[in-house]
Amino acid sequence: MIPQNFEYSAPNNLNEALALLADGNAKVLAGGMSLIPLMKLRLAAPEHLVDLGRVADLRSIREEGGFLHIGATATHYDIESSPLVRGKCPLLAEAAANIGDVQVRNMGTIGGSIAHADPAADYPASLLALEAQVRIASAQGERTAGIEQFLVDALSTALEPGEIVREIIVPVEPASAGVSYQKMVQPASGFAIVGAAVRVRKASGKVTFVRVGITGLAAKAFRASAVEKLLEGTAGSAADVQKAAAVVDNGVDANTDLHASSGYRHQMAKVYTARALTQALLRAS
Amino acid sequence: MKVAGSYTLPVERERAYELLQDPEILARCMPGTERLARTGPDEYEMKMKMVISAVQGLFAGKVRLADQKPPEQFRLIVEGSGKVGFMRGEGLLTLVTAHSGTEVHYEGEVHVGGVIAGVGQRLLDTTAKIVIRKFFGKLVENSGQAQQAMVASLPPPPPTVTS
Repeated sequence: MIPQNFEYSAPNNLNEALALLADGNAKVLAGGMSLIPLMKLRLAAPEHLVDLGRVADLRSIREEGGFLHIGATATHYDIESSPLVRGKCPLLAEAAANIGDVQVRNMGTIGGSIAHADPAADYPASLLALEAQVRIASAQGERTAGIEQFLVDALSTALEPGEIVREIIVPVEPASAGVSYQKMVQPASGFAIVGAAVRVRKASGKVTFVRVGITGLAAKAFRASAVEKLLEGTAGSAADVQKAAAVVDNGVDANTDLHASSGYRHQMAKVYTARALTQALLRAS
Repeated sequence: MKVAGSYTLPVERERAYELLQDPEILARCMPGTERLARTGPDEYEMKMKMVISAVQGLFAGKVRLADQKPPEQFRLIVEGSGKVGFMRGEGLLTLVTAHSGTEVHYEGEVHVGGVIAGVGQRLLDTTAKIVIRKFFGKLVENSGQAQQAMVASLPPPPPTVTS
């Protein structure tokens, strides 16, 4: 279908973009992987689109003081193929490589994905495990929010009208750390039925550091602190992993849809958490 | 799609029941309600604008209350349709006195159809839960205000006499 008429602006730099968005009435277009289909179905009919595609410095990926700064319009392919991300934040590269299909990865952006806040999107699990920070810009200035504060609910974020995601800040992973993202994929959409992102570190035979982020299971992605606590300090044996993964869905009100009932999601969350923990522990040295 | 759950309102059962039947309160608490007008006994006409992420839907519909057993329970029937699709929901609300106020249990079924259901199936359950959560959140806010208003309308305490 053809979308409703709309005004289109393609600013060349960030200040211009922010000025266009300042009145809060325009909608941001990044990769358009969610917005354009919605517009074509006429479920969304924004009157004014501000395309961030020409704002070159929003797409950069750079390292600074132990952190990687990923520009909001870096595509999933930019991230999965960046030597910097693959080498220094492999969990994010792995998450990016698991998104949708080739076309989506070529067009879709990390900022667009988290601003849309689909409850089954791949990035949030990894960004939660990474304790990422989101740099937010508006015509008034900039502010930073933790990813946990940023993701408010399904399809809802801490972004105010006139604000955009400027960059996502993730820590550089120590070489000895092990990471893994394991996802049960819904084949038609490529979205996660459940997805588990894990980071672990080991020292003298003990697990010293665990971070677990879960997507797809609940209305929004969340940190599985109970799993982290149970596994930290253990030897990381198969039994330890099973025991820790078993509490991943404690107190969670699981989603249900055509593809997976809530009971099934509860079970799969445990299975995929255990797989991600196992693989991350194998990769850690 | 089945929906069920419970929320606690910080007021006593009679008051909670009144709140849930008050069209003005309901209009204020239902996310996106632009108009709720009485068309008959226990029947209302409703206009809603739902905004979820980039999706905007205008719905026009009817709200009906039935099987009322004050202050214990009643049935809520909502029907609406718009360009993006239609929805029909029916639920039984049961009010139980609890330690910290009144527990409202709801159980019902929601049917959604049209474009929105075709492409948004994956998100319907989550969205329904969010709408219900926002509704009760607002209701708790409003019931708190209603209670404060009640306290405010009480005669002032007698002045204490000091000698």
